[in-house]
Amino acid sequence: MHISGPPVLEARELRVSYGAAPAIDGVNLVVNPGSLVVVVGPNGAGKTTLINAISGVHPLQSGKLSMDGTSLATLAPHRYCDHGIALVPEGRRLFTGLTVRENLELGAYRAAARKGRAQSLREMCTLFPALEAKLDAPAGTLSGGQQQMVAIARALMAQPKLLLLDEPSLGLAPAIVLELFRIIREVNARGVAVLLVEQNVVAALEIAHRAYVLEEGRIVAEGEPRELMSQPHIQKAYLGH
Amino acid sequence: MRAAAGFIGFAAAMALVPFLGLPAFYETFLYLLLHAVVLATSWNILSGYSGYFSFGHGAFFGTGVYTTAALVAQYNWHFLATLPLAAAGAALLGLVLGAVAFRVRAARGDLFALLTLAITFVLATIMLNKVDGGPGIQVMTDIPKIAPTAAGALYLLVLFMAVGTVWIAHAVFYSRFGTGLFAIHDDEDVAEVLGVPTYRFKLAAFCLSCALAGLAGGIHAVFVSYVTVAETFSIALAVNVVLMAALGGTRHWLGPAIGAVAITSLLYAFTAGQAPVLGRAVVGAILIAVIVLMPMGILGMVLKRFPRRPAPRPRSRTQPEPVRAPSPGSEPILVARNVSKAFKGVQALSETSIEVRRGEILGLVGPNGSGKSTFINVVSGHYPADSGSLVFEGEELVGRPAHRIARAGIARTYQIPRPFNHLTVLQNVALPPMFGQVVMPRAAAEGEAWRWLEFTHLADKAHRYPAELNLHQRKFLELARALASRPKLLFLDEVLSGLTPGEMDEAIRLVRAIREQGATIVFVEHVMRAVMELTDRVVVLTYGKAIAAGAPRDVMRDPQVVDAYLGTARA
Amino acid sequence: MPSVTLLGQSVLSGVFIGALYGLLGLGLSLSWGMLRQVNLAHFALAFLGGYLTFQLSGRVDPFVALALTVPLFFLLGIALHWFLSRYAPGMLNTLLVTFGLTYIIEAGIQRVWTADFMRMESHYTDIRWKIGAFYIPFTELVTLLLAMLLCGAMWALIRFTDFGRAARAMTEDAAMAAAFGVNEKRLGYVISGLAAAFAAVAGVCLALTHTLAPVQIYAWMGVVFAAVMIGGLGSAVGPLLAGFLIGISEAVTMAVTAPTWAPLVSFSLLIAIILFRPARF
Repeated sequence: MHISGPPVLEARELRVSYGAAPAIDGVNLVVNPGSLVVVVGPNGAGKTTLINAISGVHPLQSGKLSMDGTSLATLAPHRYCDHGIALVPEGRRLFTGLTVRENLELGAYRAAARKGRAQSLREMCTLFPALEAKLDAPAGTLSGGQQQMVAIARALMAQPKLLLLDEPSLGLAPAIVLELFRIIREVNARGVAVLLVEQNVVAALEIAHRAYVLEEGRIVAEGEPRELMSQPHIQKAYLGH
Repeated sequence: MRAAAGFIGFAAAMALVPFLGLPAFYETFLYLLLHAVVLATSWNILSGYSGYFSFGHGAFFGTGVYTTAALVAQYNWHFLATLPLAAAGAALLGLVLGAVAFRVRAARGDLFALLTLAITFVLATIMLNKVDGGPGIQVMTDIPKIAPTAAGALYLLVLFMAVGTVWIAHAVFYSRFGTGLFAIHDDEDVAEVLGVPTYRFKLAAFCLSCALAGLAGGIHAVFVSYVTVAETFSIALAVNVVLMAALGGTRHWLGPAIGAVAITSLLYAFTAGQAPVLGRAVVGAILIAVIVLMPMGILGMVLKRFPRRPAPRPRSRTQPEPVRAPSPGSEPILVARNVSKAFKGVQALSETSIEVRRGEILGLVGPNGSGKSTFINVVSGHYPADSGSLVFEGEELVGRPAHRIARAGIARTYQIPRPFNHLTVLQNVALPPMFGQVVMPRAAAEGEAWRWLEFTHLADKAHRYPAELNLHQRKFLELARALASRPKLLFLDEVLSGLTPGEMDEAIRLVRAIREQGATIVFVEHVMRAVMELTDRVVVLTYGKAIAAGAPRDVMRDPQVVDAYLGTARA
Repeated sequence: MPSVTLLGQSVLSGVFIGALYGLLGLGLSLSWGMLRQVNLAHFALAFLGGYLTFQLSGRVDPFVALALTVPLFFLLGIALHWFLSRYAPGMLNTLLVTFGLTYIIEAGIQRVWTADFMRMESHYTDIRWKIGAFYIPFTELVTLLLAMLLCGAMWALIRFTDFGRAARAMTEDAAMAAAFGVNEKRLGYVISGLAAAFAAVAGVCLALTHTLAPVQIYAWMGVVFAAVMIGGLGSAVGPLLAGFLIGISEAVTMAVTAPTWAPLVSFSLLIAIILFRPARF
């Protein structure tokens, strides 16, 4: 499942700021084809800003960002998805006034994904069986867990090379979190590279191939998940000891 | 006193006009000018100060016009006797409308504008059918002989009224009431949480604004001597008033008067001349140019270019003296019992019970989305609790409006700073003492504000606007504003997040110093280093429930807490 | 109590006038609901369209004139969106700027066509049918059909196409829509252009069914606003349905009491909607 080759996503010296304060301060990060990478770190470390910058939602201040060797830095936000990036944002941000089906169809809005839309929709119903019965319900009426599934399905409809997930377990009951991680793993097994930002550190590190620890806008540690877990960085950042 | 002398002097000088024997044209023109000043200034007291744009000033003005016209023409009242009723009628209309509209959260902004616009049409229809009957009303009355001519007498009336109105606008501008209105303009929710009785203030401003418009209407009915519904209840009047205020500057008491003089003169110059059609186009173009080029209006621009020298920093650089530094005891200051709060099906707090002890620093920690911020929002009255009880110093808080909770001595900061963006740093910090447990007059409140600005090292920035501060300074501004009301209980919502390590150390020292002042602190934070260093006790929340409480080091080793933070492999 | 025939004729004329409310409201609803721009100048634009049709009426059939006014207004809509989004962002700013624009257009109309009431004469004016006891003028019927056609087509476009989904998604969360490839800017121009083009169509209908005078621009504002707010911002069919509701209740009010009471209905409805059903906004 770990395919070698040139990286899908490469970020070099990434800098992002809100007003004068830097939120991301010189981050280097690489996602290889087919790999599952997690970024962990305490709240306020800049994880969401990092994900938003990579997906084009938040503008970069400086640094290099490329997908498959093509630079993204100068593109308009709506062009990022053309390069195979799809986002599952924090708090899901579904189009609540649209039906589930419409949300999914909008996921396949980019020209390259539009052709296979019907096929993708069927695949999503297999991957998320619970959604089939809800296709024509307004997305806002679904439960939190179902909404998270729709958000992931919407992103997958874009047929991405890289799936970005921002705290998908937030606010979900433990049983649903378990199911969620199973699905993330399965998506990754189908060949989609995943960059996951998570506060559920143990669960995230368990499924990851590689992990970064982000603190105060900087990467303070990176490497094999199991190694990192035993390092003091994580214990200290989260528990203060 | 100087202001009073200025107003009286101006009124006295202008009162000579009718006795100079000038052609009647001047009295008429000046009447129209001052009439516009009254309307624009009265509109501004609600709409400019508090930001509730009314497009219905025509309705309140019209209420005054028709009250006077009907009483004079149909019941033979003397017109002076009708004026109080003209004002009262308009104020009553504003009161009823405001009492309903200001309770509806959604009726802010453009919806309030539309609502007032609609009222104009409804009232026009009712007046047309019930009072006027169609052709209009002839208003013949005795005009008091306070000047050589009737036109002169009306001019004197409107002169006194205009000076009075601008004086009121001036007084409100510099009062506690005005400060509250400007705070409502920038962020109504925060104003309420800092102790501003927003509902009452909006209602009072609305009534005042309407009463003045109604009074102007009463005088105007006699001036025009023949009133029709179409002329009185026109949208054009409402829009011209907005335009005048916007042109002059809505954020200053004198702005609307300047705009009124400018627009009335312009309109008069064009419509009286050869090109009335061109006049409208010019007014339209000015409106567009003002919005695009001078969003703050003429006066706003002038004041920005030539700022008034701000009041200097007071000489005495006293740090706030320690009130008392009680050692944390076991006496509870706040007891939360089974508090629940849900949003759209998400249970943010479920039957949470938390006790805060007097004099302690309590750390409130837990993973993202565990309900920490919601707890602060519920205690401060930002959101009402769904169920449960919150007893602060023996008094129940649930069901109280936020401004009364603030007055009981509870203050908070916002995780993402929410300063009043159009107020200076000093004005921001001076606001809570004016609405706190002990109501302070402005000067005393500013003195208090200076202290807290010194305390948070922001004194150099006192006359800057919040937008000019960086994140760390904005966080400290939040802190200074919360402290300025001298709260008994202070909630700090992630004051450290986003700060550099050096700034963080400074902030930690500051929080310690706050406790030395005698406040009890509830400290919500993700930066564990700070939690460990600062807190006497911690409470851990997860899924909206408190799962552990005790000394920080013990609690953070509790396996349940470790699980809550790091997640579990087998959930 | 008026006769059944009179009541029936009232309902019919209410439907006809309601169609015009809906047609005028369509563009307003789109730019307000989807672009957050309250375009007061929409009414002045419609009148401008009406006057242009009037001007051409000697030589060009009113419906053929649409071939000129619709593309022209589409471009005007694009220009307006460019100006508003660049120089006057925010709902109140758009309100004030477009009011200024209204003044300018009104003055322009008055300069060219004077302040007098004008009535466009065309061979359509005299066509009317009598069905049972009711008169049906051709011009009114065409207005009704055009309103139903355009509102229905726009509704289908918003409901069933990628364009519509993208527009609704953008209205709700522009950043997320962009993340999935929706070009927010281009969509904004298209919607604003469409809204202005609908003003051109409404203008032709105005010229066909009503007398034109610059001051009349303001007469339509209140009631069309009411229709848009009752029908729902951003909705294409809502304003038309609300227009029917208002038109019929106005016409019946006129028949039962006096014509002067008519405005009370729409504005009381509007006030009630704002105060008691705030959830829909």
